[in-house]
Amino acid sequence: MTSTHGMEFANDRSMTAAPLITVDKVTKAFGSVPVLKGVSTHFNAGEVAVIIGASGSGKSTLLRTLNRLEKHDSGRIVVDGIEVGDDPKALDALRAEVGMVFQQFNLFPHLTVLENVMLAPRRVRKLARKEAEGRALELLERVGMQAHAHKHPFALSGGQQQRVAIARSLAMQPRVMLFDEPTSALDPEMVKEVLDVMKQLASSGMTMIVVTHEMGFAREVGDRILFFDHGCIAQDAPPEQFFGAQEDERVRAFIGQIARQ
Amino acid sequence: MMAFFRSPWPAHWGRKQRSNATMGVAVVAMILVLWLLAHLVALAPEPIGSNAQAFAEGARVTVELTLVSGVFGIVLGVLAALGKLSRIPPLRWIAAFYVWVIRGTPLLIQVFFAYFALPELLPFVKMDEFGWACVALSLNVGAYNAEAIRSGLLAVPKGQLEAARSLGMNNWFTFLDVTLPQAFKIALPPLVNNIVALLKDSSLASVIGLVELTNTADLLRAKTYLPIPSLVTSAAIYLLLTTVMTHFSGAVERRFDIEDKLA
Repeated sequence: MTSTHGMEFANDRSMTAAPLITVDKVTKAFGSVPVLKGVSTHFNAGEVAVIIGASGSGKSTLLRTLNRLEKHDSGRIVVDGIEVGDDPKALDALRAEVGMVFQQFNLFPHLTVLENVMLAPRRVRKLARKEAEGRALELLERVGMQAHAHKHPFALSGGQQQRVAIARSLAMQPRVMLFDEPTSALDPEMVKEVLDVMKQLASSGMTMIVVTHEMGFAREVGDRILFFDHGCIAQDAPPEQFFGAQEDERVRAFIGQIARQ
Repeated sequence: MMAFFRSPWPAHWGRKQRSNATMGVAVVAMILVLWLLAHLVALAPEPIGSNAQAFAEGARVTVELTLVSGVFGIVLGVLAALGKLSRIPPLRWIAAFYVWVIRGTPLLIQVFFAYFALPELLPFVKMDEFGWACVALSLNVGAYNAEAIRSGLLAVPKGQLEAARSLGMNNWFTFLDVTLPQAFKIALPPLVNNIVALLKDSSLASVIGLVELTNTADLLRAKTYLPIPSLVTSAAIYLLLTTVMTHFSGAVERRFDIEDKLA
């Protein structure tokens, strides 16, 4: 598969300099319940990392600490040279470089599809209306939604809304895309259209961190599988190894459980 | 009644066009009502007919009072709502105190206070009855608006803020482009309620000698010793004004109704 429509992403999978994201001994508790217990890992540019694990294992929380939708209690997170902290200016700059796709899409219901995609580039990147519109239409075409540009989100199916949400994030030309269970709220027949867009994005060289229960996607598209268990990364392996002869009892049980659903 | 007025527009017009047209017609109707009122009331039998000019003048003052206080009331309402939701405790206290005092005391006392006590407390401010009446009415409707707007702001889902922030939008643009439009839509029906109530409450400004619609009617009643014609006339004009206003706000509501829930 080749990149379509000339949208180029700077990331090159062969580039292995400093990691794009470094996570160092990160902890996080909700009240007295620890959800991240000293997580350390790193994500390289151009890599597709898939995070799996039972619900409550901390995988979504880790994702949300990367752009500070959740504050971590201790440890360090560095994204593209910016330390994730409380300084509002640095935080806005960081978030402009980190795209995020949510389980519930979170499109802006009062704006049309086109306006949803145009808003942040105009406000944050200060693009002129014409330029933002051109970029938005190009991205909507890329996710197959250009025909719906002037509709409001309520008029779209879940799968269509999620594809628009992906386009909205891409419009900021982020260095990395975070996906927080992007297909979990979708009817089964719509999962494929969203995964297809994500596969296309992966093949264009985008750095992606994906929290999902889609084992097929993980096996096919992932460069790495991170298995979360009780707030720790219990395993970090390439997919062929992870889904192959698995020694870890917990992982085998988890994969078996997902497969039965 | 509403159904009768609902769709005088061509069938192929969209929601936006229809509501824009309704808003335009309502604004024109309001101007026409004020302009033609003197001629209309002049047709009434005595003692009303010969006092038509006075009724028209009173109605104009009532509308001006409502418009000025309405605009300031919405600004105050937004500020007080933001204050109540602020992370800074003193701002929360000030906003809560303001809403508590205004909602817990009679508007009549507030009008008296604005006219008699405020000039003593603020000797450097020079205003006539109209100005002080606007102060009292703005402060009053602002407190009620604050609660409507606050509930609207709280009703915007958290995911909307997360989406805006994750795109790198700062606090200001997140509020302006994402939170406020959605909160405004939710707060619109109670806000309209408050503004219609304001139009009627503006009659209390008559107690400080402002000659608006109610005072006009009362002066005529006292002069002619005929309570029925003068009071019925002023009530009819209030009804006319609130009817035009309700249609205007109905059109605003439909304009924001992108999901066609009102259909």
